[in-house]
Amino acid sequence: MADFMEEAFVEARRARDAGEVPVGCVFVHGDKVIARGGNEVNVYRNATRHAEFICIDATLAYCREKRLPARQMFSEITVVVTVEPCIMCSAALHTLGVKEIIFGCENDRFGGKTVVDVAEVVGQRIDITGGVRAEEAMALLKEFYKGDNPAAPPQAKKKK
Amino acid sequence: MDLTASPPVKRARRRSLTHFEDEDITGIRAVLSDEFDRDIELVKAHSCQLETKQQLQAVIQELSQKLPHFQHLKRVHDRSVLICPSSDVESSETLEQYLQRFAFSEHVLRALCQGVRVVDVPGRMPRLRAQYEKTLRHWPCKFHPNHYSESLRNGSNFSSEQRRIHKRMAQLLVRLSRDVNSDRPVGICVDPRRPSVVAIAGGGEFRSPHEHCSMLLVDHVARTQQGGAIETDLTFAEDPKAGDTTLRGIPTVYYDYLSKDEEYKDLQFGAETRRSDEAQHQQQAQGADNLVKFGPYLCTGYDVYLLQEPCLMCSMALVHSRAKRVFFLRSSENGALATRFQLHTVRELNHHYEVFQFTTKDAELT
Repeated sequence: MADFMEEAFVEARRARDAGEVPVGCVFVHGDKVIARGGNEVNVYRNATRHAEFICIDATLAYCREKRLPARQMFSEITVVVTVEPCIMCSAALHTLGVKEIIFGCENDRFGGKTVVDVAEVVGQRIDITGGVRAEEAMALLKEFYKGDNPAAPPQAKKKK
Repeated sequence: MDLTASPPVKRARRRSLTHFEDEDITGIRAVLSDEFDRDIELVKAHSCQLETKQQLQAVIQELSQKLPHFQHLKRVHDRSVLICPSSDVESSETLEQYLQRFAFSEHVLRALCQGVRVVDVPGRMPRLRAQYEKTLRHWPCKFHPNHYSESLRNGSNFSSEQRRIHKRMAQLLVRLSRDVNSDRPVGICVDPRRPSVVAIAGGGEFRSPHEHCSMLLVDHVARTQQGGAIETDLTFAEDPKAGDTTLRGIPTVYYDYLSKDEEYKDLQFGAETRRSDEAQHQQQAQGADNLVKFGPYLCTGYDVYLLQEPCLMCSMALVHSRAKRVFFLRSSENGALATRFQLHTVRELNHHYEVFQFTTKDAELT
């Protein structure tokens, strides 16, 4: 799984270089990455375009292209992401019923495991493992938040 | 115009034709956290009875240092003094044995062991007056009345004009769902300053399983800010030639339907467009909210009206989008603002919106 986390980090750094919050994600099916992405919030002015959602959409496109049943595909997918999925992403991944989630550092502001027990609310439990290269993932975030989020209004910037 | 008067007969008659769908919206109720709505639970506490008032000062001083419990309660009531939660004293030991661990001076220890009783006391501080009044018969407790919280609970936070606007949006949701979106969910985003419709979205037969109404709505709002990520076959309303607002958040099907309807001809449409960086810095009005100061950013300052209570994913999407208030009409089995969870009451989150549910005649009958 270490190789796949490195792939997620590649996406996180790509997001950072594009002026986005540096979070990266890959969806793994068997031993193959079938979807990859980083945050795309600022470019689309849509706060829901997190790395996981980019991968969900890419997976759906992959299924359409290959004429595969999406529901079954999701049940066989391992989500590898540099930061703990937020409550929104975690709720989506639970509802889609992915096989498991592996993440880097925790998200103590709105993590879907740390802050709210998403599995309890959604009524579906999946395997979640955290702490893979956590320090590195956190370092990327810290480096980013030291600078300004170019899309946030000036006052929001000051708080960070 | 008298806003409290009942609607004109003509409208009422027209509505009777569509009675089922209009659901007779009767009011708006704030969805507050359990802290506000639950009765204050009671906990057992050990208390003692002082013989004289002269003992009071020494006893309280040592207690506040050595057993600093019950910050939310008055520690003394009628010469009775609260010592500690009863659960702190092990069943195998006496109160005196327990107190000896804390090295009280001898005369205080003696006073604490006089006339010991177990009493029921409020377990936390009340948030609303109604809760406070219920606690009074048990043990006096501290209470900081909050005018705004009280007004949310009794509904006086809205003026009758505001109430009319909100209810009208609820009726609009019902109409749009029925007439334009085949009874599927609908959401409307409103800039409350004018008020003006910023964006409309209908949940669909999903191209993707997660493209719920709220997820589409925030993307349609993004379209008013030169963004938007979700691919769609929909066309959007054309911008007017004059003016600095945009209609790009409103799909043509909804815009055309509403433009043709006499009943909605006074409804305003359009979102403020994104300001340039220089303009952001110019309008730093004192005390104004971020929408006034900096112009549109995600859903900052906007109200969101939803036919259905949003699921957890959608509720969190609205947190990320920084919506100001969320109003919904019908409860959802997987709803995360009232039914299964109250996301907006989670303190750790970096943004909090207020939540209101419309009440209907139907709901009151059942």
